[in-house]
Amino acid sequence: MIDQQLAQLSNLLIILTIVLYVLALIGFGADLSGVTQRRSDQKLRARTRERAELATVGADAPRSASPGVGAAAAPTATGPEDSAAPAAGTTTSSLGPRGFGYVMASIGAVLHITAMVLRGVATGRVPWGNMYEFSMSSSALIIALFVLISIRRKDLRLLGTLVMLPVLVLMLIAQTAWIIPASELTPSLQNTHWLIIHIGIAIIATALSGLGAIVAALQLLSTRVGRVRAARSADGRELGRFWGPVSALTDRIPSAEQLEALCFRLHSLGFICWTFTLIFGAVWANEAWGRYWNWDPKEVWTFVIWVVYACYLHARATRGFRGNKAAWFALAGFACVIINYTLVNLVINGLHSYSGLG
Amino acid sequence: MSRRKHAGRGAAKPDPSAEDAEQQKEQMGTAGGRDRRIAPEASDLRQSGSGKPSLPKLGVRGTLLFLWRQLTSMQTALFLLLLLAIAAVPGSLYPQRNVDPSKTDQYLSEHGSWAKFLDALGFFDVFSSVWFSAIYLLLFVSLVGCVVPRLNVHLRQMRSRPPRTPSRLNRFVGHTRVHVEGVDAETLTAQAHRRLRRGRYRVDTLEEPGGARSVTAERGYLRETGNLLFHIALLCVLIGVAAGGLTQYRGQISVVEGQGFSNSLAEYDSFDKGAWYDDSNLPPFRFTLDDFRAEYDTSQNEHRFGQPTKFEADVSVDDPDKGEFSKTLRLNHPLHVAGSTMYLLGNGYAPEITVKDPKGNVVAQGPVHAVPTGDMGYTSQVVIKAPDAQPQQMAVVGFFLPTGVIDEKGPHSQFPGLVNPELALTVYNGDLGLDGGTPQNAYQVDVSSLTPVQDEDGNQSLLRMSPGDSTTLADGSSVSFDGVKRYAAFDVRRDPFQGFTLVAALSSVLGLVLSLYVPRRRVWVRAVPEGDGVVLEVAGLARSDDDRLQDDVRALAHDLAPEPADAPDAARPPAPGADSTEPRPSHEGPAQ
Ligand code: HEM
Repeated sequence: MIDQQLAQLSNLLIILTIVLYVLALIGFGADLSGVTQRRSDQKLRARTRERAELATVGADAPRSASPGVGAAAAPTATGPEDSAAPAAGTTTSSLGPRGFGYVMASIGAVLHITAMVLRGVATGRVPWGNMYEFSMSSSALIIALFVLISIRRKDLRLLGTLVMLPVLVLMLIAQTAWIIPASELTPSLQNTHWLIIHIGIAIIATALSGLGAIVAALQLLSTRVGRVRAARSADGRELGRFWGPVSALTDRIPSAEQLEALCFRLHSLGFICWTFTLIFGAVWANEAWGRYWNWDPKEVWTFVIWVVYACYLHARATRGFRGNKAAWFALAGFACVIINYTLVNLVINGLHSYSGLG
Repeated sequence: MSRRKHAGRGAAKPDPSAEDAEQQKEQMGTAGGRDRRIAPEASDLRQSGSGKPSLPKLGVRGTLLFLWRQLTSMQTALFLLLLLAIAAVPGSLYPQRNVDPSKTDQYLSEHGSWAKFLDALGFFDVFSSVWFSAIYLLLFVSLVGCVVPRLNVHLRQMRSRPPRTPSRLNRFVGHTRVHVEGVDAETLTAQAHRRLRRGRYRVDTLEEPGGARSVTAERGYLRETGNLLFHIALLCVLIGVAAGGLTQYRGQISVVEGQGFSNSLAEYDSFDKGAWYDDSNLPPFRFTLDDFRAEYDTSQNEHRFGQPTKFEADVSVDDPDKGEFSKTLRLNHPLHVAGSTMYLLGNGYAPEITVKDPKGNVVAQGPVHAVPTGDMGYTSQVVIKAPDAQPQQMAVVGFFLPTGVIDEKGPHSQFPGLVNPELALTVYNGDLGLDGGTPQNAYQVDVSSLTPVQDEDGNQSLLRMSPGDSTTLADGSSVSFDGVKRYAAFDVRRDPFQGFTLVAALSSVLGLVLSLYVPRRRVWVRAVPEGDGVVLEVAGLARSDDDRLQDDVRALAHDLAPEPADAPDAARPPAPGADSTEPRPSHEGPAQ
């Protein structure tokens, strides 16, 4: 029933994918260090120039009022039409390290998805029946989302390192510690439609949480840079060896406000997916064990994740928590996702016999 | 494309009226501003620690009101939510009684007084503990206190007309100002009115001094509706769970192949019911277990070998409503019968054993439920009590091994399937202690007070038998192993509220989607006569994250005052210095 040859091919493709992702990481990493090494005061000058140019072209929308970061974002954040303009021209004119990284990531993503499809065909079911498959499928989704989003928003490709690195770590752990040969499912998982729906949505939710956490972290970083810059320029000091490169990075990505909006969008979709994960999980548990909720460790942690993300959404609407304080809740939510994924599967044993590592 | 400006809550707010809207929202949900002013006083009181509380301005009623406002504020809701998440964590770290009572007992016996201390604090019953309940009850009280006033405000708003057009529109999103020739204010506003209506806005046209007219429109009431639906649905989920807990029942049974079960309290191995459940309601159905099949993985994969791949139970059911029918139960495929649901949740072996006492009387016969010890190979414990045996009572104790070996680890089974079924038994004589009146577990016996039957050499006899074997012991008693059957364990359950709970949960998602994705916004159009035409102004206000507002406002302006066909926009230079006031031809928003 299990086609072991196809499964072997799938494993091989995963290894190739990892190699391509390593190459992509090298490309993105070289790009990032190139960007951050250029002197930041040079860039400051360039930025004022760009802003002046844009103003004479006739910027019709009033720019954001926030002084530091808002202005910094102007050249990069005005959408795809504008990012092809001279300011961002370096990325499109030749295949620099960033372009190389992006191409490697894209080819890798195609192989990655193919590998997951093959695993699915080999086992005759969706490729998320255990922890190894879950990790590989969610990382495929994260990379695919990243590649797709940055087709149009080229400025986001700068973040390739930040996406690639954690995904590679996850894939390497899965490849070395969690891998198990393609096999049939235990009877409690043998319920095709709930397996597809419940775990499929959990994968999407996890991927959105992962991307959301990266964006939330960048948002916090970007705001911090703005504050440090304001403080130092008030004292007439340089940004220094740490904040200089960091500010070179945050200057090239969307502004803190735009990251906040993106963060919210990812998390609002993510929260809906987590809600569905909970509900469909409960429906499935009711079918399988006759209880829709039993406070099994996996259920407890999914509930905790859901509540923490509810905190995030609430915080955004609560006086005194808007913006950056809310972003910390988003990060806390992702920390819970990671705990649910590793500790709960591997250390705390519950009814969810999911890891497949008996 | 308008990533240019966000009126999102996290974003900077250039215009003051957005703050008005914020304030309005705070007042709807909470008592935001007022709390602040009172709070410091309250904390002063606490610090002074004086026995006589002096609350000159608040009084008893005021204090209560103040506490209520605190409880229903957004900050408190946030705090309680966070607390709820934190409080749930120990429930996953310590073995919970409701999940696995035997693990809890084991933990308690292994960890001594520390575990007792934790137990006193409720760490093994987190989800029914006082503190956990207190948190979620407070949260839901806060929710009610938060939802009810908002519901009132919202209902009032849904019935009222959109608020008046602000006198100055130039501070708002997408503000456009155009001179349109050859039309009057009335035609233009009527056109705007129609167009906004079609766009599902609630619209009102106002007459203003000087022959001017304005249209004020609002859209997105569903956002607040969704938000209220979401929170109310959460309340309903809690109600559904609680009501289900009170009215449900759940019973466990295990049935050997060929045997039957009829639904009555006496036939259950264990039975739990909610406080409001009435046993006389037990639906009268019956079934027989015709066959039980199990398959196990035989691949060389170390993680998989011996893992079950299939459990199936064929049952013939006699349902008072549907009559007789047959059905195959599997994990994930329960049987719905007479308003209850029956789940196949466990299985095991039932070796058929006949025991005769030394006088040759049959004292025990038939399939015996062997209780799996939990290893992969289904090594199962067998206990037979024969109180009627003469001259002494007898007990037979040992193991059933589906694929038996006896090695240095003692008797155990290497594979859960019936490859080499074996019994490894010891026979005891003595007083079983059944007359003491204390109820005993049928699957356990205390052998310490019994004497094992010995063979001729004076050693304790250990019987090793395969199906068909029969052994006579030195004292004349005999044991025969007649065959092996399987048994299946079922849970029967009924929760009359589970459908309600599911509908409530799904409604909450609907509310969530509405409240996250419906933009709430206002749009205004004003036409002021000037010369032989009018000056048209259009602007909008986002009351939620709404990045399309600017495009939509500009598209509206464009519709109301279209370009002359022969004048391509791009050819016209924009007026220098024009920021928000655009002269007639410059409609070039990103909208086009
Ligand atoms: C039972 C626990 C609660 C949960 C899980 C929860 C969850 C949420 C979530 C996920 C949102 C964002 C989605 C939306 O806008 O509808 C939200 C919004 C909101 N919640 Fe709650 N909530 C809870 C209790 C409360 C309480 C007690 C209050 C009253 C103080 C409250 C007031 C609000 C308000 C006013 C909003 C709207 C924020 C906005 O305008 O975006 N919630 N809630």
